[in-house]
Amino acid sequence: MKASYVIKRILLTILIFFIVVTLCFFIPRIGVTDPAERFYPARSAGMSDAEYEYVKEQIRIEYGLNGSTFQQYLNYMGDLFKGDLGNSYQTGKPAVIDEIAECLPWTLVLSVSNLLISLIIGILIGTMAAWKRGRWQDRALLNASTITTALPAFFIALILSFYLGFEWEIFPAYTDQNMVSGFDWSWGAISTVLYNAALPIFAMAIGGIVSYGQSTRNSVIAVSGDDFILTAKAKGLSNRKVIYGHTLRNAMLPIVTQFGMNVSGLIGGSVVIEQIFNWNGMGTLFLTANSNNDYPLMMGIMIFMSAFALVANLLTDFVYSLLDPRVTLGERR
Amino acid sequence: MKTLKNIGLFCKRFLFGVGGFFKKLWKHKQGRVGLIIVAFLAVLAIFAPVIAPYDPYDVTQRAEKGLTPSWEHLLGTSITTGQDIFSMLIYGTRSSLSIGLITGIVIAVLGSLLGVAAGYLGGWVDTLIMRVVDVLLVIPTLPLVIVMTNVLGTSYAVIVLVFAAFGWTGLARVIRSQVMLIKNANYVKAAELSGASKWYIMWRHILPAVSNLLIMSTALTSAGIMVAEAGLSFLGLGNPTAISWGKMLADAQSGGAMLFGHWWSILAPGVGIFLSVYSFMRIGLAIEEILNPRMRKGSSMIKVFKHLNNTYLDEVFSSMDEQSKLKGEYAGNAAAPDTDTQRAEGASELVVAETVVEGAPAEVSPPARKSGKKKKDAGENR
Repeated sequence: MKASYVIKRILLTILIFFIVVTLCFFIPRIGVTDPAERFYPARSAGMSDAEYEYVKEQIRIEYGLNGSTFQQYLNYMGDLFKGDLGNSYQTGKPAVIDEIAECLPWTLVLSVSNLLISLIIGILIGTMAAWKRGRWQDRALLNASTITTALPAFFIALILSFYLGFEWEIFPAYTDQNMVSGFDWSWGAISTVLYNAALPIFAMAIGGIVSYGQSTRNSVIAVSGDDFILTAKAKGLSNRKVIYGHTLRNAMLPIVTQFGMNVSGLIGGSVVIEQIFNWNGMGTLFLTANSNNDYPLMMGIMIFMSAFALVANLLTDFVYSLLDPRVTLGERR
Repeated sequence: MKTLKNIGLFCKRFLFGVGGFFKKLWKHKQGRVGLIIVAFLAVLAIFAPVIAPYDPYDVTQRAEKGLTPSWEHLLGTSITTGQDIFSMLIYGTRSSLSIGLITGIVIAVLGSLLGVAAGYLGGWVDTLIMRVVDVLLVIPTLPLVIVMTNVLGTSYAVIVLVFAAFGWTGLARVIRSQVMLIKNANYVKAAELSGASKWYIMWRHILPAVSNLLIMSTALTSAGIMVAEAGLSFLGLGNPTAISWGKMLADAQSGGAMLFGHWWSILAPGVGIFLSVYSFMRIGLAIEEILNPRMRKGSSMIKVFKHLNNTYLDEVFSSMDEQSKLKGEYAGNAAAPDTDTQRAEGASELVVAETVVEGAPAEVSPPARKSGKKKKDAGENR
């Protein structure tokens, strides 16, 4: 990995981030002449033109919508540089960044545990399917992957919440909102969170487990044809040692790619699931902002998600090149 | 007159191509399953007013709310508005199939135009298109689509437009990497030498060479769009006047189908979504296997359609994107293919590139400068 490549890569990431921010700034202004229009109070009797203009100007300043569009853009960029994503239209005062900070951990609880569960169980299942290639374990995995790829996750979530939540009452079908407000780091609070999170995590993880399983299986089978596997078998290693010590280690690279792709979707990937289980995360925040036409909040969330994805992509690239020295990352040796 | 003749020739070639294609697809076992289901759904969609026992749009036909299944109402009636669920299910085929297919076709047109332009013209056109792709790939798609429907409204036209506007990126990248292989083929060089214009070469030589790939990805994108549309209307952000499966699910959930134990009102639209997505996926994957006979049976499902479940559109496109990356690296690394065979998910993925471009001789590798650049692109977008 050359330093010049790293620098170029980082500069390009920053450029893309600025384009994303610009896009996010201008999208809500499509076809709107005065974005502050809907905040103007009704004109009271006996108010002169100049007075009414003054009231409007005050409102524009309050929402950061004063001056020309270009001026607003410069202000927005300047604020962003200081880490300020503006004020929410709906709640008025609190900065967008605070709302994001409040909801982010709850989304991460879901998505990180989903990712880890899918990864670990997926690799185990996939290895087993490759081991028992052609037998019922393998066929079951294939059929499961056929079904889960064609079924939307939100439908799986609905079915789970119907049976496990409503019919059999094993897990709560709706999140207990006290969980969020009364959270301290006690064991009781943590176990409540896990109990509430079980269904959403399970709903998301089914697809993930199967997909990691299938790609592990394919990758293991692809590697197990190689010469060094034959050597390992020839020198009398047990099946278990061949698979876990030799095959799986070399079959990991496609899994790392897939993992990196999933990491970049950690924040934005659970919008519908959060909605179904009434989970108080980024997705619910975004949908609430959408129904309130709260553009600064929506744009703030989008910018945050994009920034997260950009950083995740960058890191995955670098980690990948460290893991596999054969990958030259765009530089010809 | 000449242009008319050209158009006529194109139509003839197109029809013959499509006919032969369906024949091949019919012979493929999995493809036949997909074709039969799609035909079944198409019949349902077209003859919905005849087949459906009630008209779900007709307010006077609405029965009592939340009836359980009976001979009068095969799947009961909806909890919130009292329509016959069986009729809604049949009418829902219309919105799902039409949005999926139309968006798939629009994406195919957009993606092939931009991909061919980027791959063949190169230079600043390529740089510009690829930077746009970079930006669109980073922004989370579902939130972006939600914002766009908020700003522009939720009519069918807007939904198709928005899905197409943000969905062409994956296809454009796949096509671009294919075109970069093809443009070094001898027959393209010959056409260039004989003085053919760039437009002529792109239309007559490049586009036909990627047409099979185009049909395959149209089937797969259509399936992806169907899931995305169901998700969007489940969130209540689809066309509010239409009847769609996603909206049926949302109605069932908000009306308390779970509480009253009306499992049929949840299961019915789910089965509809499953059938339509499954059939289109089957067709797409069957085409892939036809194009690429060496592909291991059954291994393609997850590769092409990596967790559609989790994040809908962006996953579909990023998985396509991953495919294109693999192919791109293959194109870039023609000299040392063993490196990327290791990092690709098995060599079988790369075979697509080989079989599609039968015309391209293996020894013609892209010029060093260009391939280096392409490898860099591939690295950047992981």
